[in-house]
Amino acid sequence: MSYCVNCGVELDKTAERCALCNTPVLNPHQPIDRSVPAPFPKEKGQVETVQRKDMGIFLTTVVVATAITCGLLNAWVFRGEPWSLAVIGVCLILWVTMVPLVINPGQSIYLSLLYDGAAAGGYLYMLTFLSHSDKWFWGLGLPIVVYVTVIVELTALCFHKLPQSFLTKGIYVITAIGFLCAGIEMLVDRYVVGNVVLRWSAVVLTVCIIIDIVLITTLSLRRVRNAVRKRLHF
Amino acid sequence: MNSTRPTTHRDNSIKEKAPRKEWYKLDLSAIVYPTLQRKDFSSVYRLSVLLKEEINPQVLQQAVDMTLPRFPTYKAAIRKGLFWRYLEPNNRPGPFVQEDVQNPCQPMYFKANNRYLIRFYYYGNRIALEAHHSLGDGTGCMCVLMTVVATYLRLLGHEEIQNGGFVMDINEEPDKEELEDAYMKYANAKVCPPRPGEKTYRVRGTREPFYTLNIIDGIMSVSEVMAVSKKYHATITEYFNAVLLYALLQKQEDEKHYKLRPVRVAMPVNLRRFFPSKTLRNFISMIYPGIDPRLGDYSFEEIVVQVHNYMRYYVNEKFLRGDITTNAATQRNPFIRVVPLFIKDFVVKKFYAKVQDQNSSAGLTNMGALRLPEGMEPYIERFDICMGQPFSNRTNCAIVSFGDVLTINFASSIVETDVERYFFRKLVQDGIHVKIESNRI
Repeated sequence: MSYCVNCGVELDKTAERCALCNTPVLNPHQPIDRSVPAPFPKEKGQVETVQRKDMGIFLTTVVVATAITCGLLNAWVFRGEPWSLAVIGVCLILWVTMVPLVINPGQSIYLSLLYDGAAAGGYLYMLTFLSHSDKWFWGLGLPIVVYVTVIVELTALCFHKLPQSFLTKGIYVITAIGFLCAGIEMLVDRYVVGNVVLRWSAVVLTVCIIIDIVLITTLSLRRVRNAVRKRLHF
Repeated sequence: MNSTRPTTHRDNSIKEKAPRKEWYKLDLSAIVYPTLQRKDFSSVYRLSVLLKEEINPQVLQQAVDMTLPRFPTYKAAIRKGLFWRYLEPNNRPGPFVQEDVQNPCQPMYFKANNRYLIRFYYYGNRIALEAHHSLGDGTGCMCVLMTVVATYLRLLGHEEIQNGGFVMDINEEPDKEELEDAYMKYANAKVCPPRPGEKTYRVRGTREPFYTLNIIDGIMSVSEVMAVSKKYHATITEYFNAVLLYALLQKQEDEKHYKLRPVRVAMPVNLRRFFPSKTLRNFISMIYPGIDPRLGDYSFEEIVVQVHNYMRYYVNEKFLRGDITTNAATQRNPFIRVVPLFIKDFVVKKFYAKVQDQNSSAGLTNMGALRLPEGMEPYIERFDICMGQPFSNRTNCAIVSFGDVLTINFASSIVETDVERYFFRKLVQDGIHVKIESNRI
């Protein structure tokens, strides 16, 4: 049997380290026994996901019924402008948004965001039939939807793939806000004025950069990080 | 606390059979647990028993199927009403025994697992039962586990195993008293003592990813622990409580806090010891022995004295009755009763997170020495209990003993093991031989 030199406790025959202090087991007289089963299994379990099929069917029925009845009303009763497209578009966005929540909880977050972006683009395109012009859609609406989708996808990627402490999450969100504001102003300027001049978004961007620098400094200097943690400890 | 079921005169009297009900009200404690449910947290605990031979899953499944109908409040699903939740008999297939996993006490969603709120696992020689706290406390759940194990052993041909103690007769109808909410029966003090409300020290640590529960088991000899406890003029529970407080104080000191806070341990007391009841549902009350380091440095001996005196003062029928009455007063209030469930959920969750959870720095429970009916002891190696995932960053400690084997189980969702290390090192310093087992790789 092996004992931890730091803690003085006896360790299991299969233990490679002391569970209390992480000291590795180096016992030439009794090497780690890998032939016997460990006291705990090695396989991790997964929580069974809840199928909200009934809720999915119910919401889909409500959304589809609303879209169809509005379409029929528009076609037979309140004719003229194709106003039902606005309602159908909202129904489409609602349905696409709720898919990952109630119908397919396992759907990838990136795919969900892509579908949300596509639904928003589709809705704006439907509105072009109401406004009798699609110039604003190609020049402004679609670029903004694509840009916002890309920024949100990248932020989600950072959240999933990069470190996830409270401070790093703050950096991702603040940076995304900065880019979002600057990009939107540039796209609006390009469409309305014809040339790109940053004004209000420059102020937002400056504030975001300052906050980011503070957060990065806090993160990189351990002493500062600990001091912040200590002072913000409740 | 020692939770051996009281086998008083009641067992000999004529039993009043419980009529099969359509639904059961949640007991006073059980009301709180479902409101704390999060995507990454459920109030789930685990009891396990280590047999002397490898488990046969087919026979175990058969034993579970035969035993569970005897416990209607465990073969149940939880449902939402307009004002309260309730338990409803669950006749769906299951619960099915499954191979054990490295990360026990995973969240238990009410609509998953065919709506069962219990899970059975097997691994090597071990049978484990995980249950949601809204069904019952450790004593009630231990009755389910022991009865399943007794049935399992009988199916394997060990017919000599008798009923008694934690092992119920699976062929008889449940006693009415087993299904009652015993709190309401004894919540009759003439005054409602206030609850403690001071913020205590919180253990700092790096939160583990979702679903990870770190377990460290310390296995030792009961006689050694008893000898050391006697040396300090304390009971085993008081001694372990003092060691845990000592470890938490050391951890707080190491963290160099700008402002020190009191260190308190939340400890459930089995009320069956004080109020005769055979209920298999929740019947516990919390006490909070603690130390305030702002008053000065405490030696270990002083901590033991403090805990010993606290227990003598608070753990008695009068104080516990007052405590139950305070808790019951909320549920009895007619204005609170008519508040819709979703508002109650919101308020209770906030209250728990801001007040109740802040009341203690760690949890400790001692189920005491388990007694088995005649013929069963030779097949059992030892028992383990695990308090499950803590609601916030902290460590939960659970103690149980069988024969001369005492197991201390620490469960936490943080990476650091400082509290556990200080705890076991103190035991080793006091001359107790400790063997460690863990699911940390």
